[in-house]
Amino acid sequence: MEALDQAAPKIRLDGISKEYIVPRTGQRTLAIADVSLDIVQGEFLCIVGPSGCGKSTILNMIAGLAEPSAGTVAMDGAPIRAPGSERGVVFQDYALFPWKTVRENIEFGPRFRSDARLGAAERDKLVRHYIDLVSLTGAEHKYPHELSGGMRQRCAFARALANEPEVLLMDEPFAALDAQTRLILQEELLRIWGEDLPRAERKTVIFITHGIDEAVFLADRVAVMSNHPGRIKTVMDIDLPRPRRESLRATSEFQTLADEIWQLIRREAYEATIDRR
Amino acid sequence: MNLALRLRPFVLPALLLILWQLAAMQAAPADRMPVPADVLATGWTLIASGELPLALLQSLQRVMLGFATSAALALVLGTAMAAYRPVGRNLDPIIESFRPIAPIALLPLAILWFGTGTPAAAFIVGYAAFFPMIVNTIHGVRSIDPGLIRAARTLGVGRLTILRTVVLPGALPNLFVGARLALGVAWTSIIAAELAVGAKAGGGASGGIGQMMFVFYAYSVDLSGIIVCMIGVGVVALLIDRGVRALEYWMIPWKR
Repeated sequence: MEALDQAAPKIRLDGISKEYIVPRTGQRTLAIADVSLDIVQGEFLCIVGPSGCGKSTILNMIAGLAEPSAGTVAMDGAPIRAPGSERGVVFQDYALFPWKTVRENIEFGPRFRSDARLGAAERDKLVRHYIDLVSLTGAEHKYPHELSGGMRQRCAFARALANEPEVLLMDEPFAALDAQTRLILQEELLRIWGEDLPRAERKTVIFITHGIDEAVFLADRVAVMSNHPGRIKTVMDIDLPRPRRESLRATSEFQTLADEIWQLIRREAYEATIDRR
Repeated sequence: MNLALRLRPFVLPALLLILWQLAAMQAAPADRMPVPADVLATGWTLIASGELPLALLQSLQRVMLGFATSAALALVLGTAMAAYRPVGRNLDPIIESFRPIAPIALLPLAILWFGTGTPAAAFIVGYAAFFPMIVNTIHGVRSIDPGLIRAARTLGVGRLTILRTVVLPGALPNLFVGARLALGVAWTSIIAAELAVGAKAGGGASGGIGQMMFVFYAYSVDLSGIIVCMIGVGVVALLIDRGVRALEYWMIPWKR
C-alpha cells in the first residue's frame, strides 16, 4: 500500500465546527466540534458514527451545500464556498429527477452544468459508457419510479460519475437497500472505482455509512465519529489487500478491524438508540 | 364491450329527457317551461345558420386571450413569490385581498377602461383566471423536493438552468391543476362579462355566447334559445377540460 501521508491533501477539513440555533427556543447546539482531517488524492475514506453525529453535515460542507460556523474546508488548497461539478454527490434518497429517464438523468450534468458542457455526440458516448458500467443497459428509457431500489442507486451513481468529478461524496448510498443488494453493490462500487488503477488515477471517495462491515470492506481509512458534539474519535488504517472480494469478510483480520470500530462507538450507539433527542 | 354496457351512461339522461318532455307538455303557459323538442329544433337552426358556433368561437377566443395573458403573468409572479421570500411576503397580502372580489364586480371599471368589446371581456376573464393559476404556481414551486435542487447544484448547474430544468418540470403537475381550474372560471366569467357588456351596448356590438343569451332573454324571451346556449357552453367547457387533460397526459409522461 502506498503511503497516504506523503501527498498534499485533496480535501482538507481544518478545525471545522457547526453550530445550530433552534429557531423556537433560540438555544444554541454544537453539532460538530473542531473536526480536522486530510483526505489525499485517490483515497477511499469512510466516515462511521452513531445517528446524529454530524456525518452528513460534514459531507454537505465538502459538497458546498452547507457552511461551517468556524474553520475551513478546502479542495486542492482553495476554500470551498459553493457546490461545483468537481465534487459529485450520491445522495441517500438518490434524488433522481422523476421526470427524466435513466438516460436523461445520467446526462444531466454534462448537458446542463455551467462550464464545459458537452455536445450531443460526446454526451451520447459518455452516457452509453456509464450506463454499461453500472449495468443499466436496457433500462435507459425507464423513469426512476419504474426501477428497483438497486437500479435507482446505480442510476444515481452513474449520474454522479458521468459528470466526471474529481471527488465523489456518498451519503449512506446503500442504506435504503436490502442486505443482499448492498453486498453486491459494495463490490461493484470498488470495481467501478478502479481498485487495480494506480492511486493517482482513482477518484477520491468520501463515503458516509452506518455499517461498520461496509466501511471496513470499502475503505483505505475509516474515520470514527462520536456524538454530542460530533467529533472525530479515531482514524483507522484499513490495511487489507486490494482488490477486495467477498471472501475477505470471513477473514479474522476483517473481523478484528470491524470489532475494534464497534467497541469504539458501541456506548454512544446505545445512547443514541435509547435516548433519542 | 357489448352494446348494453356501451349504452348504460345514456340511460339516465334519456329517461330525464323523457320526463322533462312529459312534464313540459302538461304545463299550461308554454313560454315558462322549455320543451325538449323545441330546444332540439332551435338548436338545429342555430347551428345550421352558424350563429351558435360563431358566438361560441368568439367567446372562446376571448377566453384564450385572457387566460394566456394572465397565466403568463401568474407563472412569472408565482415563481418569483415562491422562490424569493421577500417577493412572496410583499405580494401575498395584495393578491389575497383582491382574490375574494368577484370578476363581475370589475365590470364597471373594465367597461370604462376598455369599452364594451373584446378587451373588456378578456380583462374580466384574465382577472378570474389569474388567482387559481398563481395559487397553484406558488404551491407547485414550493412543493418541489429541495433535494432535487441540491442534486442539480452539486452537478454544477446554474440557477437559471435549474429554474428551467428542475423547477419548471417539478411544478408542472400543479401548473396543470391551476390551468384546469383557471380555464373553468374563465369560461364561467366570459358568460357573465358578455351578458353585462351586452346589456350596456344594447346588443349587436360585441357578440359572444353571453350576449347571444342576453338577446334571447331581453328581446324575445326565447327560452329554447337560452337552453341551447347553456348546452353549448357546457359542451365547450367539457371539450376544454378534455383538451387540457390530453395535453397533461402528453406532457407528463412520468406520471402515467
